[in-house]
Amino acid sequence: MKTKLLSFAIIFSALIYGLSAQAHDPKEHMQDAKKPDCAAMDNMDQSKMDMNDPVMQAMMKQCMNGMKHEQKSGDNSQKKNKQEVEVPPINDYEATKHNH
Amino acid sequence: MVAKKILSCSKCLLIAAVLTMLGGLAFLYSGLYPMGADVPHNSLTFWALETLRENSVARAADDIEVPQDLQSSNRLLAGGADYNDMCVGCHLKPGKKQSDFSLGLYPAPPNLSLNDDEHGSHEGELSAQQRQFWIIKHGIKASGMPAWGSGHDDERIWNMVAFINKLPDLSPDQYQILTARGENSTGHH
Repeated sequence: MKTKLLSFAIIFSALIYGLSAQAHDPKEHMQDAKKPDCAAMDNMDQSKMDMNDPVMQAMMKQCMNGMKHEQKSGDNSQKKNKQEVEVPPINDYEATKHNH
Repeated sequence: MVAKKILSCSKCLLIAAVLTMLGGLAFLYSGLYPMGADVPHNSLTFWALETLRENSVARAADDIEVPQDLQSSNRLLAGGADYNDMCVGCHLKPGKKQSDFSLGLYPAPPNLSLNDDEHGSHEGELSAQQRQFWIIKHGIKASGMPAWGSGHDDERIWNMVAFINKLPDLSPDQYQILTARGENSTGHH
């Protein structure tokens, strides 16, 4: 009887501990995740953009990821454009932007 | 004669100490101290608690090793999303001056979207980063600041420190982009 109670207590504690460890899993936040408003980058003063600045690099990554995602989904659905569009490295972002 | 004087003096001190202790206990049990968060501490209590907190954190955080890559963009992205989900309600963001939590908590949580001088901290960069890491990981007793270390590993906490260090320089637009977890929908055209 005591062994059963002890086993139950251990399993219950482990379960609670496991659940608490998952409480802040980033995936949980994805349910109401907002999308980055990359259009706002158009309004930023490009003369002040420093590509070596980690903030700027992070913004590029955020917005480039989205563009890559869009391009892939566009290719899959339409299958019109057979040319593979490569996402340029961060430092080539400005050149890409002017081409679009 | 001298020995008698010393003895009587020590007796007086002992009696004074006992009376002080009894007075303190009586005050604790009396319920006279206002515990509501809407009534500030008196200046002596505030000074004592703040001094206790700052020295305790400084001592505990002193030997924490700060990662070399704290400036990396990947850390900013990871830390930004977590900051937005877990910290912004109390510590605010660019363009947001107050919230229910920042108004109601006592002591008031620092507005981390302001630079150090604006929210009253005057530390060196290294000390500030060690302190931020320790506080995020261990929390602060009776302040509303939880110990995030129970559910977050050190790397994840350092990501938040990296983001907090850049936060005062961000515009509201930059903040939105860096903290969004979802995929970009609008892109550039």
